[in-house]
Amino acid sequence: MKKGLKIFAILLAAFIALQFWKPEEIEYSIPTKDLHNVPAEVNTILRNSCFDCHSSTVNLAWFDKITPANFIVASHITDGRKALNFSDWDKLEKPKQNATLFYAFNKILSGEMPIKSYAALHPNAKLDDRSISVLKNYLTTIAVRKPNQEVPPAAAKDVEKVILNKKITDYSKVKPTLNNISYIPDFRNWKAVSTSDRFDNGSMRIIYGNEIAVKAIAEHQTNPWPDGTILAKTAWKQKTEVDGTISAGAFIQVEFMIKDAKKYEATKGWGWARWKGNDLKPYGDSANFDQECISCHNPVKNNDYVFTAPLHLDINKFNIYNKTK
Amino acid sequence: MKLLHTIIIILIILLSGCGRNKENLNEKASVSTLDKLSENPLLLSPITFSINPSKATMSTLYGNKIAFQHAKTKADSSYPEGAVLYEVTWKQKADSLWYGANIPDQIISIEKVQFTRNTVPKYELYGGHPLKKVSSNNQNARIALIISKRIAVTP
Ligand code: HEC
Ligand code: HEC
Repeated sequence: MKKGLKIFAILLAAFIALQFWKPEEIEYSIPTKDLHNVPAEVNTILRNSCFDCHSSTVNLAWFDKITPANFIVASHITDGRKALNFSDWDKLEKPKQNATLFYAFNKILSGEMPIKSYAALHPNAKLDDRSISVLKNYLTTIAVRKPNQEVPPAAAKDVEKVILNKKITDYSKVKPTLNNISYIPDFRNWKAVSTSDRFDNGSMRIIYGNEIAVKAIAEHQTNPWPDGTILAKTAWKQKTEVDGTISAGAFIQVEFMIKDAKKYEATKGWGWARWKGNDLKPYGDSANFDQECISCHNPVKNNDYVFTAPLHLDINKFNIYNKTK
Repeated sequence: MKLLHTIIIILIILLSGCGRNKENLNEKASVSTLDKLSENPLLLSPITFSINPSKATMSTLYGNKIAFQHAKTKADSSYPEGAVLYEVTWKQKADSLWYGANIPDQIISIEKVQFTRNTVPKYELYGGHPLKKVSSNNQNARIALIISKRIAVTP
């Protein structure tokens, strides 16, 4: 018993001593203005659930300030602010603000945000069904196109003419991305793995797969995808026609995921690349721009980081048919 | 008894979790063996795609080699003999992995436009589940619309 008490006393002393060891001071409480143009209700939800780590206004609980908890908290805050800082809201252009809110909402839906360990200790930060539906309703109002709702037909004179004045003739002149991936001009000859109607930002995408990808789909070997798989995703602007339908307008960008488990081990087995605009400008400011791709693709890590559920491109079945013909 | 229940529930969760990890095909949006088509249009070359928001459908225009080559190099509707186009139309569904996207659900129709020696191309409409040939009452308008579509531009 006496021995037990002694140990307890030593532990307590160590714990108290530990309290002098603190993480580097972060600026804790500079008030963050409400997000401009965003309804109060939405602001309240984000403030309660996200601002601790994603703004310069931090409301920590007493237990967050105890060593070692404070180290974890501090690292969450530093990393969280780096990834997304609502205090910088006004610096973003409107489309970027909207994209950020859609991204934030999808991080909530996927269960990644708020961070689980934090939510467990701060139950108020958890979003209930009502908060989720408030956010969802708000997002519906800022979506470039309202989901599944008629769009007013365009007047003939307003139908945008999509002209590509200068098709690139020598693709070897297209610059590689900073993570050293060269442009892959061939994807237009690949098969379509799926399509996506992005009403959030008014774009539409065809997801292409190269031969290895198509074979993997036919053979049900897509998790993980085999080395050599390349998925390409092209985005076009949605363009409204006179009959109220939407067709592919101006080219926005093309993105690639190139599978090589060894070569791209550091980036989850995929090489990530994006080229934007009609001059195919490589995207990214530094060689690790691909961290941004990985962060957003992270919720589908159990699908080998691929969102798209491919159409079943069964070749064999139809080969058999052709033979009997 | 309670413990047994817990163990069973945990096992079910674990097992269904494993199942989900395996593969991720959109089987429902694909062409099935039961469909009465002579080839799988999804294996041809995608030319462009379109969305009909009022009907919540999305369509991809596919072409065989001849049609695709024509669409790539000539911006007109005069496809040569031997060209085959397919307009495949899906019902849309919300993408469960990204709020903000719609993706293909079940195929509701496939239209085939085949260019022959005749001036008017041959039109076939497939509908129902499984897909089989059905008659169309606005064949000419549909042909005109399908052949008016131009390839989605990429630099
Ligand atoms: C306990 C701290 C914490 C809370 C609370 C929190 N986050 Fe995060 N968040 C982080 C950290 C750390 C990262 C960066 C590392 C990562 O991706 O895990 C991050 C990353 C993100 C990203 C990805 C940004 C990028 O480009 O990588 C989004 C979006 C996001 N959080 C949204 C939210 C939303 C919305 C909420 C509120 C519902 C929220 N977060 C609450 C800590 C937090
Ligand atoms: C804000 C979220 C987000 C970011 C950032 C992001 N993606 Fe994606 N990506 C998606 C979503 C969602 C899809 C599913 C298709 C769709 O609806 O557009 C997708 C699909 C893809 C696909 C098709 C295969 C698949 O996973 O479905 C490729 C290729 C791709 N992304 C490449 C990239 C690259 C390269 C980057 C970085 C330069 C990147 N993505 C950054 C959200 C993101």
